[in-house]
Amino acid sequence: MTVWHLDPETIRRYAQGAAPPELAASVEAHLIACPGCRDALAAHVDARRAAAIWDVVADRVDAPRRGWPERALSRLGVGEATARLVAATPTLRGPWLLAVASVLLLTALAAQADERLLRTFLVVAPLGPLAGVAVAFAGGLDPTREIGLAAPYSALRLLLIRTAAVLSVTVPIVAAAALALPGSPWRAAAWLLPTAALTGAALALTARLTPVVAVAVVAAAWVLVTVPIVVAGHVDAAFGPGAQIFWLGAAAAGAVWLAAARDIVAINLGRTG
Amino acid sequence: MSTVLVNGVTKSFGRTTALDGVDLEAGPGVTGLLGPNGAGKTTLLRMIATVLAPDRGTVTLLGRDPSRPEDRTRVRRRLGYLPQEAGFHRGFTVFEFVDYVAILKEMTDRRPRHDEVRRVIALAGLEPVSGKRIRALSGGMRRRVGLAQALLGDPGLLVLDEPTVGLDPEQRLRFREMISYAGEGRTVVLSSHQTEDVTALCARIAVIHQGRTLFVGTPAELTAQAAGRVWTDTRRAPAALAAWRTGDGTFRNVGDPPAGADLIPPTLEDAYLLLVTASQREVTAA
Repeated sequence: MTVWHLDPETIRRYAQGAAPPELAASVEAHLIACPGCRDALAAHVDARRAAAIWDVVADRVDAPRRGWPERALSRLGVGEATARLVAATPTLRGPWLLAVASVLLLTALAAQADERLLRTFLVVAPLGPLAGVAVAFAGGLDPTREIGLAAPYSALRLLLIRTAAVLSVTVPIVAAAALALPGSPWRAAAWLLPTAALTGAALALTARLTPVVAVAVVAAAWVLVTVPIVVAGHVDAAFGPGAQIFWLGAAAAGAVWLAAARDIVAINLGRTG
Repeated sequence: MSTVLVNGVTKSFGRTTALDGVDLEAGPGVTGLLGPNGAGKTTLLRMIATVLAPDRGTVTLLGRDPSRPEDRTRVRRRLGYLPQEAGFHRGFTVFEFVDYVAILKEMTDRRPRHDEVRRVIALAGLEPVSGKRIRALSGGMRRRVGLAQALLGDPGLLVLDEPTVGLDPEQRLRFREMISYAGEGRTVVLSSHQTEDVTALCARIAVIHQGRTLFVGTPAELTAQAAGRVWTDTRRAPAALAAWRTGDGTFRNVGDPPAGADLIPPTLEDAYLLLVTASQREVTAA
């Protein structure tokens, strides 16, 4: 049983947060076992300071666990709230990314054995990131889509955040697969500007269509235009220097149109009306 | 001024007409949409939640026109919405999920946002499971999580689509308590196909059937419509619109009673049944 008690001066210093660490530890060990000293301490505690301390404790206990993507984004200077929205993007889940990586890697490896599969890779490569944008807004994969649609958060901002997140993860995957390609080095990067152009076109179409439909339209147009060209052996017509300038222009035009139509985009993020 | 004003709203999906010239007015307190599955309740609530635009007609929410982008954002800042099939990121804890929705509600400053998340978690009675993953919760608890996120930011308009569906009787009672509390000082519009919920909670109801409004008024006014049209008998009356054997072995008949029938006081369920069945017969006859 406790036979001694804290002296008033120690209680006062502890209550003000002025006790050195070793004294504070000793005081706390005693307080656990001594109701009388706890009562004496209570009279000296500043209610506002105690509430502020409690807030900090509660916040640390409740604070959402941050996964590695959120921690990485924070280190890059991305705000805590934005990092959380990125982490909840459906496309960034393991199984989907694994599927994209597998398809592209297999195509790239197959191209080692057969030159014609190199053309297939160039056609397929932009579709990976593009499909990722669609998946990011697909109702079946985003469980909170309906709640999100009724929330005031800027739809355009959400669209851009998720698209950037998808591209920042899928483009390196495609790039890694491209390194396994045979032939000249420029071909390893020939899909990059078409990817930017197709994404820009899909985002611009969200002013008229839902993101999933917009991506489907752009992907279908891409396949219909490029497949006959590369099958005929005119790879440069779709991926050569002249074509790259065209894709760059298309990407810029998509961005300009998206900026101009930003109010309309807000309506189409998965809405059925 | 009414918080919700719906005038002559029509909405079709392909060849299916979900709403056909619906009117609705709702102010502070709880207003219930009552109707069978597929009546158009969810379509109407999605419009009130600014998720869906009407083909024709007008919707005014909190004095603003949600078809205008700037007004729509302002309405959403004062709106709480629990969809019929509220989805969750199942790997999130309760706190993490509500926190995520709080970000979507533009609460980007971490400390006050977390304070608000704690407040609504406490309101929904979820404090003991705040740190639990949503996939480990029962259906009733998940529904509470849905209600908690809808209460973020103390909204002036709360839209709840079938809030008590799938709950056991005790959970339903607790949920009613929470909704009743939420309805004090704000406008709540909810849908249900359960007359018990509407009787227990709503000051005003609208009966919707096949995309049309059949009745708007108080539960007492709806119940009064069935006065003199409910009777008991030892057999199922052939002319009754609906009849069923009760616990004491007699038949409760609803419809046009024969002369000398043993009339009994109607319930809201009787009146609802009369209204919907009569409407169904009109459509079939046409």
